[in-house]
Amino acid sequence: MKLQMVGCSHHNAPLEFRERLAFTPSSTAVALERFREQFPQAEAVVVSTCNRVEFYTASDREDPYPSHQQLVEFLAEFHGLDAIELFDQLFERNGEDAARHLFTVACSIDSMVVGEPQILAQVKAAYRLASQQESTGPLTHSAFQAAIRVARRVTTETGIHERRISIPSVAVCDFGRAVFETLADKRVLVVGAGDMARETLRYLLEEGARDITILNRDRQRARSLADEFGGSVAAWDELLTRLVAADVVVSATGAREPIITLRDFQSIEEARNQRPLAILDLAVPRDFEASIGDSLGVYLCCIDDLQATCQRNRQMRDKELPRALSIIEEETRSFMTDLYHRATGPIIRRLREGWQAPKDDELQRLFNKLPDLDDAAREEVRVAFDRLVNKLLHPPLESLRIESRHGIPHSLLDAMRRLFQIRD
Amino acid sequence: MLSGISTVCFVSSYLVALILESTRLFFRSSARGAVMWIFAAGGVFAHTLFLFSLSWNSSRLPLSSPYEWYLFVAWVLAIAYFYFAFAKPRAVTGLFLLPLILVLVAAAQFADRTPSERTGLLRGWITAHSVFLLLGTAVVMIGFAAGTMYLVQVYRLKHHWPLNSVPRLPSLEWLERINSRCVPLSMLLIGGGFATGLAINSRFLQDARDRLAWTDPAIVSLGGMFAWLLVATIFNRCYRPAQKGRKVAYLTLASMFFLLVALGVFFFSVSEHEMSRPVSGVHVGNEFAIHGLVPPVERRVT
Repeated sequence: MKLQMVGCSHHNAPLEFRERLAFTPSSTAVALERFREQFPQAEAVVVSTCNRVEFYTASDREDPYPSHQQLVEFLAEFHGLDAIELFDQLFERNGEDAARHLFTVACSIDSMVVGEPQILAQVKAAYRLASQQESTGPLTHSAFQAAIRVARRVTTETGIHERRISIPSVAVCDFGRAVFETLADKRVLVVGAGDMARETLRYLLEEGARDITILNRDRQRARSLADEFGGSVAAWDELLTRLVAADVVVSATGAREPIITLRDFQSIEEARNQRPLAILDLAVPRDFEASIGDSLGVYLCCIDDLQATCQRNRQMRDKELPRALSIIEEETRSFMTDLYHRATGPIIRRLREGWQAPKDDELQRLFNKLPDLDDAAREEVRVAFDRLVNKLLHPPLESLRIESRHGIPHSLLDAMRRLFQIRD
Repeated sequence: MLSGISTVCFVSSYLVALILESTRLFFRSSARGAVMWIFAAGGVFAHTLFLFSLSWNSSRLPLSSPYEWYLFVAWVLAIAYFYFAFAKPRAVTGLFLLPLILVLVAAAQFADRTPSERTGLLRGWITAHSVFLLLGTAVVMIGFAAGTMYLVQVYRLKHHWPLNSVPRLPSLEWLERINSRCVPLSMLLIGGGFATGLAINSRFLQDARDRLAWTDPAIVSLGGMFAWLLVATIFNRCYRPAQKGRKVAYLTLASMFFLLVALGVFFFSVSEHEMSRPVSGVHVGNEFAIHGLVPPVERRVT
């Protein structure tokens, strides 16, 4: 019974390397199919995100099962890379370590942003895809279902996912939601089309924003962002006009001077009728003059305000980390015990079968000798025999269960085979 | 069984809920929300049973005395708190509503408990008058709590407090929605109460001595409050900047001021209104009459 993981993550491999090793959903399907051709008895799941590429394999048989070297060679061949180079960058986890690692990943403890919620969805998607490709089996089913359960438990029992620690998420989800109940019916104006704007757009969509307009000096970049996230594009010289109608403004340009001064804002203030306006100024240097925040109905937050919140949230998450780790540890132990106990399954089954036949023979002999027994009496006798067998089997099975806590109990299994004359 | 329920039962439940709400300012706890909810639910349940038992035991319509009136207002606020706690479980709405509930229950202890002897059609009008004013008072108080929360939230955002700092409050939009609904609703309810009061005073009281003078502080304060609410509603509907933002919150806060003046008139017995019957030893009133110390003071009904 084996569980193995070979992969890389943001902890040990640079982005360029992760990009070369990354799988798309379609290439994952092809890779899993080829893997099954090479190792028909093994199970496999590929978790590929922007921060990690991990290839999980499992099998309840010893052979043929891919070794670490074979797995690296398989990945190298699939991506057309040099296997020697891959050896240096990939890390490996086996057995209990592999299970613990999977749980840690699913709970987002191993993520670049600890507690970010996307990773669980990505793990689920990876498991679903592998199941569709029929490359999963009893072991990977158990491991991934346990990982999903552990992630849920960590979410419920700790506050690790409650605090956001990236600036765009705090800006949209905490600041935006402190002003507005929902973003679904709000006009959102995104000024700039860089990485920060892109990241913020992701959170805006998650929070339900639908009416999004993107403004950028380079209209082409604004257009490509609008195509990616859905939304309209406006010309740069419409900035003030758009500001009149906006409810939420996200500004993340690379401008060296404020793009909206207090005087600019005062020129449109009357037209706004003091309607609330949340301005998320994520630019450095700032895009909006700080004094605009004193205007009636305007709630302006800059990157320094958000960073202070992120810092506090990070500290609060750190406090929750030991509890999350102890849940992972507890669940790993429980999972491994189940796994080890499962290895004893065939022996238990044969043991039960071995006792079943003499029991049935003895029952038949008894019923032949006592032909006057009615159905109720026969049933009572049958139940009594079953109970006797179960009671006799209980001590050895209990010993197996206890011994399984620390690994597959090979010596005990061997002893039972010899004691009860169980043959493969 | 109902006779065993006293104000202590629900006051202690509300008090525990308030203490638990207050601890939200200092530390996190996963179990606190559920415990708080249980105490609040227990409080509302005991409060409901208590009010029911008051009417049941005396075989009278509810709201027969100022004492019951205060307790009913507190009950409506407790229901509102329950809704707030359900709609915004992470916000410390209880810090703003529960003290109002406790103050009302405390005020009830100093209010007269003697039931009104009026019967028939007049009794119906008096009940309608009481219900209008009861609901109007509750709505003004809810608006006040929402307005206060709004201003605290504005202060936090304007002064760049960390977003995860306590107290956690509902969004400005949500609070503004509550505020802007409270202004016209309280106007309608207080208006209904005022109109029924005027009708009772001018048409239904047979004896001229029972009628209040038009300059009685009760009529003047209630009329002033209604006038303010009318102006606030018109201002809120016609002046666009007053439909959004802090101005709505200020309107609800001002409404609370007028309400306090009106309640003060009744509470400190400066009116001839029936609701102004005092209880404490400072004033000579029906409490002493009940105990046979002095003859009952004849009061009139608005």
